[in-house]
Amino acid sequence: MPLTRRRFLTGAAATATALPLAAAGCGFAPAGSKAAANPDTLTFTTWGTDAELAGFRAAIAGFEKANSGAKVNLNAVPYEQMFTDIDAQLQTGNPPDVFRVPYYTFGAYAGRGQLLDLSSQLPSGFGDRFTPAAWAAVQNSGKPYGVPHHTDTSAILYNTALMKGAGITDIPTKAEDAWTWDEFTAVARKLRSSLPATKFPFGYNWQGNGVTRWLNLLFQADGRFLDEQLSGPAINSDAGRAAVEFSKDFFTQKFVPPNSSVKATTYVADSWYAQTTAMVFSGAFAIPDATENLKFEWGATYAPRKVRGGGDFGGNALVVTAKAKNPKLATAFLDFVTQADPMRTFCAGASLLPTRRDLSADGIEFKIRPELSPVFVGQSRVVRATDSAQVASPSMSGIITVLKDQLDKAFVGGQSTAATISGLSSGIAQALQK
Amino acid sequence: MRTPPALTAVRFVGALLVAVVIAFPLYWMVVVALSSRSDLLGGTLRLWPERLTLDNVRNVLDSFPVLTWFGNSVAIALTTAVITVTFNLLAGYAFAHLRFRGSTPLFLLMLGTLTLPLQVIMVALFRLVTSLGLYGSYWAVILPTAASAFGVFLSRQFLLAIPRDLIEAARIDGAGHRQVFTRIVLPMSKPLIAVLFFMSLLASWNDFAWPLIALKDNSLFTLPIGLLYLQSQNGPDYGGTMAFALINVAPMVIVFLVFQRFFVQGFARSGLR
Amino acid sequence: MSRPTASRQRRAEAATAYAFLAPNVLVLALFVLLPLGWAVGLSFQRTDGFGAGRWIGFGNYLRLVGDPLFWRSTLNTVAFTVIVTPLSMALGLGAALLLNAALPARPVFRSVLIMPMAVSGVATALIGLLVFDQNNGILNGLLGAVGLPRIDWQSGGAAAFASVVLITLWWRVGFNMLIYLAGLQGLDPGLQEAALLDGAGWWQRLWYLTVPLLGPASFFLLIINVIYSFSVFDIVFVLTGGGPQNATSVLVTYAYDTAFVSRDQGYGAALGVVLLIISLVFTAVQWRTSRNRDQTG
Repeated sequence: MPLTRRRFLTGAAATATALPLAAAGCGFAPAGSKAAANPDTLTFTTWGTDAELAGFRAAIAGFEKANSGAKVNLNAVPYEQMFTDIDAQLQTGNPPDVFRVPYYTFGAYAGRGQLLDLSSQLPSGFGDRFTPAAWAAVQNSGKPYGVPHHTDTSAILYNTALMKGAGITDIPTKAEDAWTWDEFTAVARKLRSSLPATKFPFGYNWQGNGVTRWLNLLFQADGRFLDEQLSGPAINSDAGRAAVEFSKDFFTQKFVPPNSSVKATTYVADSWYAQTTAMVFSGAFAIPDATENLKFEWGATYAPRKVRGGGDFGGNALVVTAKAKNPKLATAFLDFVTQADPMRTFCAGASLLPTRRDLSADGIEFKIRPELSPVFVGQSRVVRATDSAQVASPSMSGIITVLKDQLDKAFVGGQSTAATISGLSSGIAQALQK
Repeated sequence: MRTPPALTAVRFVGALLVAVVIAFPLYWMVVVALSSRSDLLGGTLRLWPERLTLDNVRNVLDSFPVLTWFGNSVAIALTTAVITVTFNLLAGYAFAHLRFRGSTPLFLLMLGTLTLPLQVIMVALFRLVTSLGLYGSYWAVILPTAASAFGVFLSRQFLLAIPRDLIEAARIDGAGHRQVFTRIVLPMSKPLIAVLFFMSLLASWNDFAWPLIALKDNSLFTLPIGLLYLQSQNGPDYGGTMAFALINVAPMVIVFLVFQRFFVQGFARSGLR
Repeated sequence: MSRPTASRQRRAEAATAYAFLAPNVLVLALFVLLPLGWAVGLSFQRTDGFGAGRWIGFGNYLRLVGDPLFWRSTLNTVAFTVIVTPLSMALGLGAALLLNAALPARPVFRSVLIMPMAVSGVATALIGLLVFDQNNGILNGLLGAVGLPRIDWQSGGAAAFASVVLITLWWRVGFNMLIYLAGLQGLDPGLQEAALLDGAGWWQRLWYLTVPLLGPASFFLLIINVIYSFSVFDIVFVLTGGGPQNATSVLVTYAYDTAFVSRDQGYGAALGVVLLIISLVFTAVQWRTSRNRDQTG
């Protein structure tokens, strides 16, 4: 399957490519505010994979067609440093009209008056088109400050041969049958004893920007990290202790590679690709790349459950900045891209999960390996609004640092569960005060 | 003195060992750039690729406006280098041969600012560049990097080697400082100019964090920013990154090979011995 | 010459100096010192960067004193500097001596050693990741293949620190060699022969003759290496991210994490200011103690 990779910029700069040096000379003239004048032009800053940008581009074309005269300038920037860039622009009053933001970063902007309160712009009942979990993820003090554009949650990808080699053939195919924590541990033990010391039963995808995925375990134990008012820590609970204990064991039992803690700089998916781990926790976004590059047989199953199934509400929202020139048009754009057809196209093409109630209930079909879609859509259905609302906290960026520090100490520094819980609890309390 | 052949052989073997250690990561960079992701992650140790593919290079060339970015990089790096070299030579001469109040503190302050991390002043710098109306133009990148303290230091050390007597003699003959600079100092500084020019070109060529923010529009971006695009939200694309890194480094290697002669001379004539 | 003329000349000299310095100083003042002043102001505030911050006086600086991660990062930065500076200078000198001697294919060797300089910091660190990945990396693969134990480059603190040092040396030794090579070529070969005739051994000649004569080059390298090591960022950020367990956290990565990941911009600015003060003090001390070294021999 030949994926068209990152052609996004080629189109944008096609004319310039013809005469590189001549065109390059234009950079000496200050850019000024040539685009800023037109009230019917929206600027939209995002990062994205080729498939995501193709989805955005299609949606923009549809929007421009439906609103004659409207124009959307797509500015594709690297994810790395996207928010350093956005912050600098916000602080100097130069922000784009619309930008894309992960749910765990959303609160940092919404809680500090940087985003447009959409409740005045959107018709009442607008939120009903989304799943409760999705709509909860874009609320701040009871008001919506963005639209949930897509979600993503972690299920398990497995290497069929390595599983078979350990005698594991009964792999859950329905959400109700997902392994319990105990069953999952038993599977990991079997793998541990069948694999050589240089290989590992599984990898957990909490490196890089993924530390919020540890919360999946907390939610599975039916725990919370913030109280119901989102104003104090709630992690000091049996569920919290169970989640820390369970994940600490991953390292002490050598279930996961020792270099795959929350602060690692390499991604554990690479170890699964290299057949160093038998399973890996992963979002659906990895499917196209894995399909293109892996030479071994692999499948997908549900993440484990304890008290209940649980998962992170990953993915990204689209937001309008508070000082957008044309709030009405910007809101119309968010409305347009979250209609059923654009969302279905976007998610199916980029292997991401829908946030709409109807699409989530009916399911969607990924373009690549459609038979795996039900696992991921099913996994996303176990996410609860009470879970996703916590991640929308304005203090989330501070909380993420606390999670990283404390979990790293617990996983590779040998910090006890009790000390970890108290560290998490006081750290979260401190982050909430700022 | 004639070197015994045995000694030459020992030296050669030593140099070879060092060169292999240094060259291996570079070699590995090329291997990764020319391997498919599935071969790279095949799980078996291979010191040379089973098969070579240009897919990574082709993907990168297809995906990014490499030529445009190359043009931007050339324009920015050349302009920066020309300005920096001029500023550095002037300042270096003043520090080396002119007596004035505040010379040492000023020089130390300049050197000290070398450690100032961009991250600390970035937001303020962005405000400044925006209010000067430079945001989204090459100047937003060129001007903030034009005063290189490294270059001033190097110029000062080099120019100290020009004998004071020579300058005094010219002064007694009635030449002003400006004439001394243009007629005596500059002609003697060709190697220094080559070194400064190359170092400045290199620094500007590989800079990415500030250009990404200051250039605003991706049609004005420079080459190394492409490396950032290849670090996605979910991990880096190693093959693409290495292919891009090769494309990025190639012009500098060529420039370097051209400048190499001047290079050693340039430092040799400085006070650095 | 009469006195008034001398003082007029001195004034003219100073005026020329200021004119020559003006372009550099103006650009530096505008694009570095002005933003720096703003950052210093920020370091006295508690702010997430949006809207007005709250003035808290020396609050951020007092917080530094009780912050274990600040001390850890400072210690790591100093350790990194103390290890990398002499090693890159010593290895650079060794390589320069080797490649200054009669040797077949000498230009090729020189070019190879200098080549890493041209690779950008991020690309260097990514090569480092491919080499040092402890599960799938080439180095552990090689160690395993020859029967040596695999090293926990990513999960062991000391090994991770070593990986940062090694990749830095790979990147920087070429520059050090280049400066020393230039220095060696400026030496008078007659002195060496005289020492040889006096019966001085290789070590004696190196230690008592060559090294002292290379003083100005060493001084230049010392300052540049220390300044570089204090402000190391790209390599650490990409290769280890400061981990495992902060074993490789340095001041600039900590400042970056604080200001841009945790969005505690006031505290991040305070970290940056401290780094600047440390390096200013170091440079000034070096300058005073090594005054003679900046004169040519």
